[in-house]
Amino acid sequence: MRLVCLFIPLFPLAARLRSEPDLKGESVAVFEGNGNAARLLAATRKARQAGLETGMTLPQARAILPKLVARGRDRESERAAQEALLEIADSFSPRVEDGGEGVAYLDLEGLPGLYSLAPREGGEGQGEGGSVSPKTLNSTRSPERDLARQIIHSAEKVGLPARAGIAASKLAARVAAGLPDSPTVVPAGEEATFLAPLPLSRLTPALEIAQMLERWGLSSIGELAKLPEGEVASRLGETGRELHATACGIDPRPLEARLPPPCFSEGMDLEWPLLSLEPFLFVGRAALNRLLARLESQALACTRLELLLKLDPDGCDARAIELPAPTRDAKTLVTLVRLELEARPPGSPIVGFLFTARPDRPRSAQLSLFGPAALSPDRLATTIARLASMLGADRIGSPRAVDGQRPERYTITSFAPSPPPALALPPQSGRGLLSVRVLRPPVALEVITDSRQSTVDSRQSEIAERGGRGDAETRGRGERPISLKSINSDGAFQITGTVKVAAGPWRMEEGWWTSDPADRDYWDIELSDGALYRVYRDRVSGSWFADGIYD
Amino acid sequence: MGVAQALALERFLEGKGLAKKPGATLLTGSGAKLLRASDLAPVPSTPVSSLLATLPALDAILSGGLPDRRLIELVGRRSAGRFSIALAALACATARGIDAALVDLGDQLDPQAAEAAGVDLARLLWVRPRRVKDALGAAEMLVATGFRLVVAEMGLAPRGGRFVPDAAWVRLQRTAQTQGSTLLLFSPYRMSGIAADAVVSAGFPQPIWRGTGRAPRLLAGISSRVTLEKLGRETPNRSASMDLYVAEALSPFSRGSFSLSSRALTPFCHPERSEGSTLAFPKLMGQILRCSAPQDDKVMGDAPARALDCRLSTVD
Repeated sequence: MRLVCLFIPLFPLAARLRSEPDLKGESVAVFEGNGNAARLLAATRKARQAGLETGMTLPQARAILPKLVARGRDRESERAAQEALLEIADSFSPRVEDGGEGVAYLDLEGLPGLYSLAPREGGEGQGEGGSVSPKTLNSTRSPERDLARQIIHSAEKVGLPARAGIAASKLAARVAAGLPDSPTVVPAGEEATFLAPLPLSRLTPALEIAQMLERWGLSSIGELAKLPEGEVASRLGETGRELHATACGIDPRPLEARLPPPCFSEGMDLEWPLLSLEPFLFVGRAALNRLLARLESQALACTRLELLLKLDPDGCDARAIELPAPTRDAKTLVTLVRLELEARPPGSPIVGFLFTARPDRPRSAQLSLFGPAALSPDRLATTIARLASMLGADRIGSPRAVDGQRPERYTITSFAPSPPPALALPPQSGRGLLSVRVLRPPVALEVITDSRQSTVDSRQSEIAERGGRGDAETRGRGERPISLKSINSDGAFQITGTVKVAAGPWRMEEGWWTSDPADRDYWDIELSDGALYRVYRDRVSGSWFADGIYD
Repeated sequence: MGVAQALALERFLEGKGLAKKPGATLLTGSGAKLLRASDLAPVPSTPVSSLLATLPALDAILSGGLPDRRLIELVGRRSAGRFSIALAALACATARGIDAALVDLGDQLDPQAAEAAGVDLARLLWVRPRRVKDALGAAEMLVATGFRLVVAEMGLAPRGGRFVPDAAWVRLQRTAQTQGSTLLLFSPYRMSGIAADAVVSAGFPQPIWRGTGRAPRLLAGISSRVTLEKLGRETPNRSASMDLYVAEALSPFSRGSFSLSSRALTPFCHPERSEGSTLAFPKLMGQILRCSAPQDDKVMGDAPARALDCRLSTVD
């Protein structure tokens, strides 16, 4: 088995710089702890050249470098950076193990053959020309080394300065990845030879064992490997036996492949509380961009965005934004977050945040040579999301006809058109139907009626009598409207005039067994202004309404 | 600048009166002459194709149908047939497999009527803004998304429509031109100003009533006249008569039997008036129609009558 170990040196610092890329090139140090007791964990090259060392306190560091940019350790950034590293590994190999703290292992079996013909994006001389051991391992070109360079280049694209080591065991690969001359390839079966000249500290033994080995006069891994295994075990116990086996290049630990994560997260602990929206969106936009870049690397899109805000001094605020279709458009997501926070402000300063994206496959469309062009699913999803945030989710969709009798009925579903036909159809003129504008809600009317019976009513009375019903049911239907005037109108829409022609009534009754029945007498009305209205009288309340205009 | 100054400037640019000055080889080519904008040759524009049809009358005055890459405004008062034209355009587009969008400022679409008019509802995106500003923003977004046909129906009395800056309309028109979309704007009064590529007005409607005297009155449709008031820089003033009929009036109710989906009859058919196999549909010319099949009570009850396909015949 061949393995690649991806390793991020100074991982807390690298994660921090990934979240705040503007700090690259500055003297930055990451501290762990609070106040003056904070200890330096990692520092940039510029800061180290100024004399900063691991373990220094913040006052000591400030004394050496007054302009030092000090940052606390950000677990959220580190977790996001680790996920990003694993996703990069996932994009190359189906079997990836999370080594924790900036370490990931990839199963390399069969991969060099796949990637050997791919163009190298990382450049020829990258990582070569170093001064540290074993140069011979890096001087030759091989498909494995080319693949490792591609992996390193991909990691650098997401802001992670990675090193890679390739070997047959996890330990040898990890040690090889720790060497500055990256990538380092350890030939199969030569792990012991590779490890022999390296210092014992590369095996990261426990402090007591390291001191013991130093007293024995051992300085390199090879010297430990030459000792008899039984003698080492009798003096150092089981730990010593494992350390000896490791020094001999024997690492029995298998690769433990991880399951793909169900969601993607990006977040940040802020150095200071944010009170207003714009600064938050500034840092949030960067996090969303990183999140979407990770989704894109997996050929996924965001179908639901969850936002967790850490509030000052304590507490949190969780939101969820449902998207009508998967999207990778950062501008849309930022707009949605803005609208969400403007609608419901968190109420306290924000000291941290976490974006979680539920992934889904983006919609794809097949272009047609001869038929009408299909809409781009990505652009359509983005537009629908923006319109839904602007107008409300219930104000956009695809209408559907509903069974029933009430004219105002409708339902709306999500817009998901089928693919267009393969061939363009010839244009056809419309049927010339007169349609009705539905007035939602109906406009209340003040109606003056004429009580004379209409001819239609006499005909309906005749029908009712045939059906065995009495004439009482039809009584009252002959209140023919002669004048209309809208009431309680807001002034924008008025209906006023005398009736020129009135046709009706037509009875409509629905849902008499429900709590919201409809029992109406409908009329078609031509007013003196020439407009045609559909009005009705509610038989229960006796009120008049206009619920449509023929137009 | 006065006329004399303009002529002097023109002479100056042509180099007249400057011969005495050595080396005064001022601009003398055609490019130096001042020209009025109206004298300029028309800028060749993108070829326009008419791929979308609406109604015969409108197609006739638009020389075949709705042109691509254009903002077309249709102005008309209440009951002039604006909404029917909008649905006809949507029906023609969606029937050809083209996705279309309706920006419905007044929230006045009746999906049942749209379906009856031939609109493929699955291909229609219905957007219901509450303000004119939102409607314009939505229309621009939809055009930019690539919808081939976007219908912006501004309702009966849009508030603030007169205060929309001209730049917004020009922007919409440019977006439609760039994206290859047709943007149909339906409004009660001219809103788009100079930005519209074509302006059509619908005249005063004349309702068509059937039945006179003691006979029952029934609305059969309207007759209106559409006029092409503007096409590019021209004012052709071509007009055509447009007749629109209600769905029931299109069917041959007066004689014989026919098949009709109950969808066309709703909401005016009701079981209350059913008697055995005879149903009364007074909307249909005030005549009693006989339903020959089916006879299931559930069909004409308040249960879904969608699948009903009655065989109806008139009863004298």
